[in-house]
Amino acid sequence: MATLQMAARAHPRLGTYVTRATVVGLTLATAAIHASLGGVLFMANAVGYTTLAVAMLVPGPIGEVRWLVRLALMGFTAMTIGGWLLFGARFQLAYIDKAIETVLVAVLAFELWRTDGGPIGVARQARRLLARLGGVRIARTPR
Amino acid sequence: MRIGATILLLAGSLLAGCTAPTGSAAPPPAAPSGGAVITAQNVAFDRAQLVVPAGQPFKLLFENREGAPHNVTIYDEGGAQLFVGETFGGPGSRTYDVPAIPAGTHKFRCDVHPQMTGTVTAG
Repeated sequence: MATLQMAARAHPRLGTYVTRATVVGLTLATAAIHASLGGVLFMANAVGYTTLAVAMLVPGPIGEVRWLVRLALMGFTAMTIGGWLLFGARFQLAYIDKAIETVLVAVLAFELWRTDGGPIGVARQARRLLARLGGVRIARTPR
Repeated sequence: MRIGATILLLAGSLLAGCTAPTGSAAPPPAAPSGGAVITAQNVAFDRAQLVVPAGQPFKLLFENREGAPHNVTIYDEGGAQLFVGETFGGPGSRTYDVPAIPAGTHKFRCDVHPQMTGTVTAG
């Protein structure tokens, strides 16, 4: 985390690249672990992680709502950790995976704070998005 | 967009590689004397029932024929654990030393994949 903070201070864009690469790397690592476990549930989890990793990279409309992708990935990871705490089997690979997921949540929280302005900034962006969607709906309403 | 597509392709290959069926359709190994044998392959056990001696320790040979980690845990009817086998990824096998379990019908399952279940008849 200290390395990420130093990188972010030294060069804002470099910081963004480093944190995003870290997020994508950790996300793909946990996706691969879940896929290796076999079974429909683990495979669905792996597909979810992979989709969110791709959404962290693609430009265009998704790039405009990257804060939402970060939030979704954070929620998805937290839910996966919670599910394991409640129902999961305890074995070595599971502990390694939970360590990866915990670091992932921490990096996402750091990125959410740095790039999106924390919970208040996210709330503002959510309000803006809802207003924009509302505006589109109003514009499409026939007179 | 090109980066995203590359990542998607790489991740897809990774996922496909991780879930590729492994192991063979060879017959299960012989059960240890006075014990039982069970095999896991394609996220399923090869049998739904194990018959073991009641009231005395026995050996359970568990062969995992795929990369996915599995184990065998035995529960009583109330859900209390009678025995927890080591979880490991295959291909490989372990001979579990199972302590004495009471006579009757119990349940077994893989803790990683709770849909992999069966019954243990101790008698």
